[in-house]
Amino acid sequence: MAIDIPTRTDQLPTSATRFIGKAVNRIEDPALVSGTVEFIDNLSLPGMLHCAILRSPHPHARITAIDASAALELPGVEAVLTGEDVERWCDPCFTAPEGWGNYCLAVGKVRFVGEPVVAVAASSRYIAEDALELIQVEYEVLDPVANPDEAMASGAPLVFENRGTNVIQSRTYTWGEVDRVFAEADRVVSRQFRWNRVGANPTETFGCICQWDLADNSLTCRGAYQTPRFMAIGRAASLRLPANKVKIISHAQGGGFGGKGGPRGTDIAALLSRKCDGRPVKYIEDRMEYLLAGGGQSWDRYYDAAIALKADGTVTGFKVRLVDDQGAGAEGYGTISAAKPLAAFTGNYRIEAAFYDLTLVATNRAPTYPYRGYGPPPHNLVLESLMDVAARELALDPAELRRRNYIGPEQFPYTVPSGNEYDSGNYAAVLDRVLELSDYKALRESQAKARAEGRLVGIAVVSTVEPGVFDWNAYATVGVPGVGVPEGVKVAVDVFGNITVAIGFNLQGQGQFTVAAQVVADYLGVEMNAVKVTTASTDVALPHFGQGGSRLGVAVTGAILGACDKLRQTFCRVVAHVMQTEPDQVELMNGRLQLKAAPAHGMTIAEVAGLMLSRSDLLPPGVEPCPEATFVWVSPNRNLPDDQGRCRSYLTAAAATHVVQVEIDRDTGQVKILGYYIVDDCGTRLNPANVEGQLQGGVAQGVGAALYEEYVYDPQCQPLVSTFVDYLMPTIHEVPMTVKDHIVTPSPIAPLGAKGCGEGAIHTTPAALLCAINDALAPLGLECRETPASPRRLWNLLHGQHGH
Amino acid sequence: MKPAPFEYHAPTSLADAVTLLARLENEGCDAKILAGGQSLMPMLAMRVARPDALVDLRQVPGLDHIRLQDGRIAIGAMASKRAAELSELVRERQPLFHAATRLVGHQQIRNRGSVGGSFAHADPASEYPAVALVLDMEMVATGPDGERVIPAAEFFVTYMTTALEPGEVLTEVRMPVLPPGTGWAIREITRRSGDLALAGVALTLRLKAGRCADARIAAFGIDATAVRLSEAEDALRGAVPTTESFARAGAVAAASLADPMSCIHASAEYRRHLVGTLLERALADAAARAH
Repeated sequence: MAIDIPTRTDQLPTSATRFIGKAVNRIEDPALVSGTVEFIDNLSLPGMLHCAILRSPHPHARITAIDASAALELPGVEAVLTGEDVERWCDPCFTAPEGWGNYCLAVGKVRFVGEPVVAVAASSRYIAEDALELIQVEYEVLDPVANPDEAMASGAPLVFENRGTNVIQSRTYTWGEVDRVFAEADRVVSRQFRWNRVGANPTETFGCICQWDLADNSLTCRGAYQTPRFMAIGRAASLRLPANKVKIISHAQGGGFGGKGGPRGTDIAALLSRKCDGRPVKYIEDRMEYLLAGGGQSWDRYYDAAIALKADGTVTGFKVRLVDDQGAGAEGYGTISAAKPLAAFTGNYRIEAAFYDLTLVATNRAPTYPYRGYGPPPHNLVLESLMDVAARELALDPAELRRRNYIGPEQFPYTVPSGNEYDSGNYAAVLDRVLELSDYKALRESQAKARAEGRLVGIAVVSTVEPGVFDWNAYATVGVPGVGVPEGVKVAVDVFGNITVAIGFNLQGQGQFTVAAQVVADYLGVEMNAVKVTTASTDVALPHFGQGGSRLGVAVTGAILGACDKLRQTFCRVVAHVMQTEPDQVELMNGRLQLKAAPAHGMTIAEVAGLMLSRSDLLPPGVEPCPEATFVWVSPNRNLPDDQGRCRSYLTAAAATHVVQVEIDRDTGQVKILGYYIVDDCGTRLNPANVEGQLQGGVAQGVGAALYEEYVYDPQCQPLVSTFVDYLMPTIHEVPMTVKDHIVTPSPIAPLGAKGCGEGAIHTTPAALLCAINDALAPLGLECRETPASPRRLWNLLHGQHGH
Repeated sequence: MKPAPFEYHAPTSLADAVTLLARLENEGCDAKILAGGQSLMPMLAMRVARPDALVDLRQVPGLDHIRLQDGRIAIGAMASKRAAELSELVRERQPLFHAATRLVGHQQIRNRGSVGGSFAHADPASEYPAVALVLDMEMVATGPDGERVIPAAEFFVTYMTTALEPGEVLTEVRMPVLPPGTGWAIREITRRSGDLALAGVALTLRLKAGRCADARIAAFGIDATAVRLSEAEDALRGAVPTTESFARAGAVAAASLADPMSCIHASAEYRRHLVGTLLERALADAAARAH
């Protein structure tokens, strides 16, 4: 049957939506605030053991001997796992590009500080950690590769000897006549930028309980899994199991943000279970493990970039050279982060030609992983900073320069030079609203007054596009195969008219359970509390991906609409049969299946479901007694990329403009955020409270990246940050409560016109803060081009000091 | 992040605690006193601290008073920082100590953290040791031979080390009430609200006939202990309290620092500069409060 996915809310079978578009209370929250959610560490299984992991103290060393005999003698210790076991039972994790993966425990040599070397299973975590102290590991220390310059030097030590190089990938992309536009430019603005390593820090680190069934040779993993199906396939590959013998039960997660992978922890706990005759083994990653090497490090970048302009401020070209320090291999898919900017390379602007020179390098830092926003936040900082430099050189207001270059509302759908197609937008309207909201003129006046007093006050107006609803094709260029990221749901109506939505992911904080219930309730005309949203384990769940790439709100909406349409069609057949008419004479409206010609005649959803389940004699031929439907949604109209990586990748293009005012304390280098204003446009807002929450959370992480957070390594590649004393997550005291408004330009192609908006302000906030800081510094002729713009860095800049 | 094995003791009287500490000391057992646990517990979990035994003072009665005693304020070592923060006596009669208390961590930490714990822990970046030097506070230690009073100037020995003997319990801290008309100030630079200071200064300032009669200044976060800035104090004596004289005092203070600490958040030079800036600003705060 043909399935109809509405792209507008007025196409829903209801006279007026009651839930979609409203800030309804989140159905996730009662359990969260009352402490009844079963996070993985709340769970104990009979006979369960606890895992602790001995990690490498060296960034690069050969393992010459491991003696765990004393640990094995400690009462309570059941098993010790080393690289020898792992080499026998496992393969290195798969990576993109292929062949840059590590084993879950070091085999032969260690490649970064914090790499797992030996794991212990014991009757308690305390004893397991005691046992780690009894293990002797002998290392032959090797010269570390501390940064990309060292990595690419001739004769450099190799992180992966078998590769013969430390360069994971190096290529260029040319989109349009780049050389010509730069040659014909009236002005070229170029700068270098250094974005230091930051990353995701969820409240809950990774945790799992793994149990190897020795009779069935199958594995069950319960845990804080963000992308359970993807994880199951990965475990099957690394643990050499048939994929149908790996079952992942995803528990609720205390946040994710992309960093909470857990493949290593899962494989280690699984192998310990295998070694312990199938007893369940729990591994809870602690914060020090997470900060050292848990998948929370991302974006370690060196940029050299330029824009070409005409005298009137028209930007015609954008060139970026990026050297990205991936750390020790590609296990965390940090490579993808460098490919994602292709989805919105030229931001909000009509830039006709662009060039990307991308080099991904392996070093002995911890491997990099995805982080909310993936690659664009640093990329946006580069582009927006160059826009501001250009505005200064042209003596144009930065808002005006942007306005002159925006893609016009009439130009959508708009294909950017790097290939992606933006669905819709009205960037000038967003700008107008935020200038009004912030009283931009008054901000500039207050800045002039402050400058006259010798104060360093700066303002930024920064615009970004948030690509929403990712597709694998966006990452084909770094070796990820495939087109189409599925999201499957089952919608089932029971004999009483209650509705169960079975999904493949679990809750993580963003509120997709609520969105699912809103959509079902409005489509089928029931109350939200008649809808139960439940997570299926990977052995029975439909194809799905879950959270990631600003996709799930849109994707799960599409999946539910598809399943509901299938249900509607079946119900129409059933009702037509009992009312002795044709299915096309029956319609669903406000929860009733009724005759189009005589709406008073009809049945409720509950009555139809009850009939289907209890009166098979009344069913039309070919209709099963099953008031349930499944649907696996996938972004429509995706395609394979060409040789320059160009394709329709991300389905939607949300946009935002931030206005921020900051002041730098000349004597201390501290930055104070004086005011922060956001106007965004993510199309239909399915749940405005969810959108606002995502925005505010993105601001917090953006503030962290711009001003506070940094994974610092010393020149020998030793991490100097291992606790929150030194890794400075901003707290509520550091994050401004932003003044927000929005406009709505619905997507013409996405379900209900909603655009991906989960990553939100992290795309914009780092750029906005750095641009505001540089606006403050402009009268001094100074620029900060390194993140985070910490007091120490700004003080050094202001006082002519160099170095760290 | 689980502690290494340790014995746990929870004595129910001060006498028992002291006896127990003496016994553990005799047995060659490395014992550590647990008060609010806000510093010790993470150190245990990270196995940075590995005592053989913990002596938990939370069951010991009579150590959480905050009272006026012989004209001075006496605070029991087990009183929470939050209690000190909420104390009217402390707020009205010793505003410098009160302001310092509010700079310690966050409210959740002050709920649990004890006043005495910060003195015994002696983190050089914490506020209390500097305030203790400024106010000439006294620490009361109770040991097998009874009580002894240790002046602040002798209490802080070096990085996280005090003059307390292994068998002694810090039971009380005492401070003068602030004389009326005395100016005071505490300022610090932290990376985030509630963090340990990269640098800070605490001071009192007395004015007389339009001139600085006496300043007592200490800096924290820059050396192995809080340090008195005596050269700046001397420079201020007799000076007219102006922006210029405060800037000069700041410069003198910065120049007087021997070898400021350095870390990933702040170099020695940056810390040195911060002390000067903070002092200049804190003197202005204090002058505005003095009369």
